[in-house]
Amino acid sequence: MNSSTTKTFFITLGSVLFLFAVWEIGAHYVGQEILLPSPQKTFIHLISIFVSPSFWSTIGATIARGIMGFAISLVIAVFLGLVAGFYRPFFWLLQPWVTVIKTTPVMSIVILAIIWFETDAVPVFVAFLIIFPIIYGNVVMGIRNVDRPLLEMARMYKVKTRRIVIELFTPSIMPYLLAGVSTAMGLTWKVIIAAEILSQPSFAIGTELMKGKINFETANVFAWTVVAIMISFIFESFIQFLEIRLNRWGSSL
Amino acid sequence: MTFEIHNASKAFKDLNVLQDFSMEMEDHKIICIVGPSGAGKTTLLNIMSGVIKPDAGSLSGFADKTVSYLFQEPRLLPWKTVDQNIEFVLKDKMSKNDYHRLVDQYVDMVGLADFRHYYPRQLSGGMKQRVAIARAFAYPADLLLMDEPFDGLDPQLKRSLINAFFCLWQLEKRSVFFVTHDMREALLLGDKIIVLTDRPARIKGHIQNPIPYWDRHSENVEFQRIENQLNELVINPTC
Repeated sequence: MNSSTTKTFFITLGSVLFLFAVWEIGAHYVGQEILLPSPQKTFIHLISIFVSPSFWSTIGATIARGIMGFAISLVIAVFLGLVAGFYRPFFWLLQPWVTVIKTTPVMSIVILAIIWFETDAVPVFVAFLIIFPIIYGNVVMGIRNVDRPLLEMARMYKVKTRRIVIELFTPSIMPYLLAGVSTAMGLTWKVIIAAEILSQPSFAIGTELMKGKINFETANVFAWTVVAIMISFIFESFIQFLEIRLNRWGSSL
Repeated sequence: MTFEIHNASKAFKDLNVLQDFSMEMEDHKIICIVGPSGAGKTTLLNIMSGVIKPDAGSLSGFADKTVSYLFQEPRLLPWKTVDQNIEFVLKDKMSKNDYHRLVDQYVDMVGLADFRHYYPRQLSGGMKQRVAIARAFAYPADLLLMDEPFDGLDPQLKRSLINAFFCLWQLEKRSVFFVTHDMREALLLGDKIIVLTDRPARIKGHIQNPIPYWDRHSENVEFQRIENQLNELVINPTC
């Protein structure tokens, strides 16, 4: 660990401790567990959630929905993004659809999805629609930003199209795609849980949050929120790891 | 005479870049084309390489030739190492053994043997242009087109790159068309120097440079004479 990462580590640690201190003082000042439970109380609830028999099936179900919505979106967005990036008329053909998807309020999508689909599928569908424009847009941008002089060089040296796609386009698009994936992944969990709160599947973090609210167990709401944050954090770290691996040529060694 | 351009014209929108342009060139020579910027030098190269078609006129001797290029910028893929960048243009042309051998040989000849696994980001500007030179020579081509590849480099670096270029060229004398606005470069490299007029480009005149490469320096009286001749031709008004 060099001095700058040590420094970053201590700044982060300090910031986290400060957050807990504010939380602790706030909870003490408010003095009502139903409004703001203390960190200790939240921690105790977290443990009890963690050991409860339905814990893994609950987070498993939420994670499965997230991954499914994300994966479906990724595949379709990359495919359509590639076509639209290379072929302008197709881009303009898709543009109104993408704009409509992008600007529709999340809650409208959730409510319509509840009307149209069965509960378990609602969060998946919502996540798909929210993520799609982000990844699609980034793929299109990646293709448009391919270095023209490099492309010209490859063409002039008569490199085969298949190899130009694999060795020139793919690495050019990758940083854009990963940036899109990173933003989309963070959004996925927010959207999935929001949709779960309204659609109430039997196993879901969103359902547990709602139960906590109905039963006035605010500490449970906090504990499940902590679980959601941890899930999001784990996935974010994984994507960051991928970004570093795939961009090795661009980072300082 | 193997390369000929007959009455080529090319306009971009209303801008006449070439009009009734004709020239004849010998092969296995370095032919420099000098002219003011914007005179259509790059257009001329693009016509030679077939990237753009002339609006009128014809070419002969270019069609069946394989061509390699040196651009103003190195144009290296940033995610490929020195070796991989050269392999990138060779892979479709030959067997694995052949391109490995060629990459080895040319990376060595441009003095980058210790840097072959470096990415372009880790190299200096001059080193990157060396990779581009190695790539142009490793690529099996009859014709080498160069569009001001030594532009914007400091004089010392420029000289060392030009030397590196010449050493490679001597081993395998390809037909080179070298476009530049720098008369010193033209005098150093060119066996023949063609001077263009302002747009639309026509040939103002040409100069033969029979002096052996290593004697091309300011102390050489014959070299001075040719330099003066070129200066006169460039400065001389066309009308």
